[in-house]
Amino acid sequence: MSLFALIAQETPQFLPQNIAFGVIAVISVVAALKMVTTSNVVHAALYLVLVLASVAATYILLAAEFVAATQILVYIGAVMVLMLFGVMLTRAQIGAEDDLNHDQRWIGGLVAALLLAVMSYALIDHYGDDRLPETIVPQTTAEVSDEIFSTYIVPFEAISVLLLAALIGAIVVARRD
Amino acid sequence: MSQYLPALALLILAALFAALSFVGSRLLAPRNPTVPKEAPYECGIIPGREPPQRFPVRFYLVAMIFIVFDIEIIFLYPYVLVYRELALAGLVAIAIFAALVFESFVYLISKGALDWGPPSTARQIDPSLVSAERTASTTIRKVGLEGRLPHNEVAA
Amino acid sequence: MIGQPYLIDVDWGDLVQAVITAVISFAVLLVSVMLMVWFERKVVSRLQNRIGPNQAGPFGLLQTLFDGTKLFFKEDLIPAEADRFVFKLAPYLALVPAFLMFTIIPVAGDFSNGHDGSVMVGGEKMFFQVIDPPVGILFFLAMSALGVYGIMLAGWSSGSKYPLIGSVRASAQVISYEAALGLALASVLLVTGTLSTNGIVQAQSGGFTSWALVTTGFVPFVIFVIAGTAELNRPPFDLVEAEQEIVGGFHTEYSSIRFALFFLAEFMNVVTMSAIFVTLFLGGPAPAWDFPWIDLPLPGALMGFIWFFGKLLIFLFMFVWFRATLPRLRYDQLMDLGWKVLIPLALGWLLVLAGIRVAQDNNIGLADTAFGDTLIILVIGLAGLAAGAGLLAAAIKNARNEASAVALPTSGIVGMED
Repeated sequence: MSLFALIAQETPQFLPQNIAFGVIAVISVVAALKMVTTSNVVHAALYLVLVLASVAATYILLAAEFVAATQILVYIGAVMVLMLFGVMLTRAQIGAEDDLNHDQRWIGGLVAALLLAVMSYALIDHYGDDRLPETIVPQTTAEVSDEIFSTYIVPFEAISVLLLAALIGAIVVARRD
Repeated sequence: MSQYLPALALLILAALFAALSFVGSRLLAPRNPTVPKEAPYECGIIPGREPPQRFPVRFYLVAMIFIVFDIEIIFLYPYVLVYRELALAGLVAIAIFAALVFESFVYLISKGALDWGPPSTARQIDPSLVSAERTASTTIRKVGLEGRLPHNEVAA
Repeated sequence: MIGQPYLIDVDWGDLVQAVITAVISFAVLLVSVMLMVWFERKVVSRLQNRIGPNQAGPFGLLQTLFDGTKLFFKEDLIPAEADRFVFKLAPYLALVPAFLMFTIIPVAGDFSNGHDGSVMVGGEKMFFQVIDPPVGILFFLAMSALGVYGIMLAGWSSGSKYPLIGSVRASAQVISYEAALGLALASVLLVTGTLSTNGIVQAQSGGFTSWALVTTGFVPFVIFVIAGTAELNRPPFDLVEAEQEIVGGFHTEYSSIRFALFFLAEFMNVVTMSAIFVTLFLGGPAPAWDFPWIDLPLPGALMGFIWFFGKLLIFLFMFVWFRATLPRLRYDQLMDLGWKVLIPLALGWLLVLAGIRVAQDNNIGLADTAFGDTLIILVIGLAGLAAGAGLLAAAIKNARNEASAVALPTSGIVGMED
């Protein structure tokens, strides 16, 4: 409780936000750990859904509702469905699988640790001890649109090329010859 | 933010409702499972053939193409909210975007990526298998074999 | 909430209000599902020259309640080969999004003469919808995306072949038509200019000529209704539970109250989808025309509900009518309709619609007048549509030719092997 008291003391108006963030963060970290430790592929996919959902919840806390909706629609509604399809259509056994862990997990752990270090460094380097403004004005979808179609118009058009590449990739995956 | 509270309350209520229904059912329903009852459903006969280990890759392809369209749609929504201010420039931008995705989609279709089911498979083997001249009386004897023989020959 | 500090600012009053709203909407939804099941059985009976339920309660109204109660007393079986955790989780994943989807629907309120559908209760502005997030309609799409998980996981976790086949079919169908649904929805957003459901209704409150049904030019409405029917796995798109082929589909192994919850979610989705049709295309609770000659002694909010309910009934009846009339599609027909007809048409229509509306503002500068602009854009747009359609037709033809030119099934796209 002392942690909450500390947070409340510094920024009392953010107390509910901080509590909500704490809950969401715990859920996402636990789900992420369960995802890599569970021995069933479908369970792992479900834990990943939970992680992605808690990221969406974080976006809502940050007043970016359009991004949150996008997160759910694209990641949970499409990408994870694709992953589940992949495991369901091929090899998803019911029950635990013993051979899911193998020697490469140490390399995997090393890569994960490196990634964590790089990302922590980037975040701390860029933001330092910046604070959220006292009043966050929610970002409307129209503002997002204005950004996309002015500042980011070139990346936007580049995305269509990326999608083109993805579709060509799809046909290559499906071809057998 | 607090506007989502009623939805959160409804979520909890719905989950509680489901949970309480399970508790009610547990209290009221008889419980005497037997081996045949718990076997996979098979219309009363003993399951002869195991469920297929693999499904056609086409289902996976559908999910992949869906992701592409989902992303396209997500970019269309911001556009339709501000299209008036963007005028011709926005229209051209979105038309190029849509045309590029559509073009690769047409390529996918021309490669037969979204042709489904026995008609397309049969067409690959022998176009006469799905011709209009075939009737129920000419096909009924071959069910289960047609379209599979060449597979086996190739395998052997 | 726009422009206000974005803080969680909750006091006990808000909490109590939220719980009351949730309880009311929960009860209304359950009762409406009960009535919908009765309505479907009754109407389908009459269409098939039968009487239908008529014993339990007046006109058999309580039949659903009795059926539901009966299921409490039925043995609850979990197949031996099932993944027990996921098997138990799946009904929740089907039911909870079904409840949440309805929260964004404005069910009543006075939208005539430019009112915004609110009523003043104790000095506070209240709306007849549970929540009104700024991204409103995307909330609906997100929830319907979550609904796929209930179906997928129920089928997979049963450890049985028919549910697995049913759930793979269902998920592929649902995601295919979700793309068509999203594209048709974009046309509505184009004419209403907002994502909020309240805003969408307000934009259509000027009588039936301002309905999105008319202003988007009917085609998105037809696409949306077809795609919505397919999303619900209702006939003629009920391949998911084609009894002759795969018994009951993804819920074959579910019995007792677990089955009842899937059933409940299914019918709740029917009611919600009808309400979405009404909100997006028929102006929700907004009246179709004014009655200057009748001065009904009813408050405007109640009139709003009457309009909403009347429009809702049209679609509820439509779903039952579909079921009684149309034969089921084959899977290749289903996929062809979704991918090769609805999605390209919805995309092309959206672009042409956007073009026409941009031209009407007369800031394109191709011609001197807005009319000239519109004409030019219309010609370009129609030429583009024709070119796209021609390209698509050529692609489909090419796919056929290539498939029949291939002698052995080993080359080309991987087909139907086990």
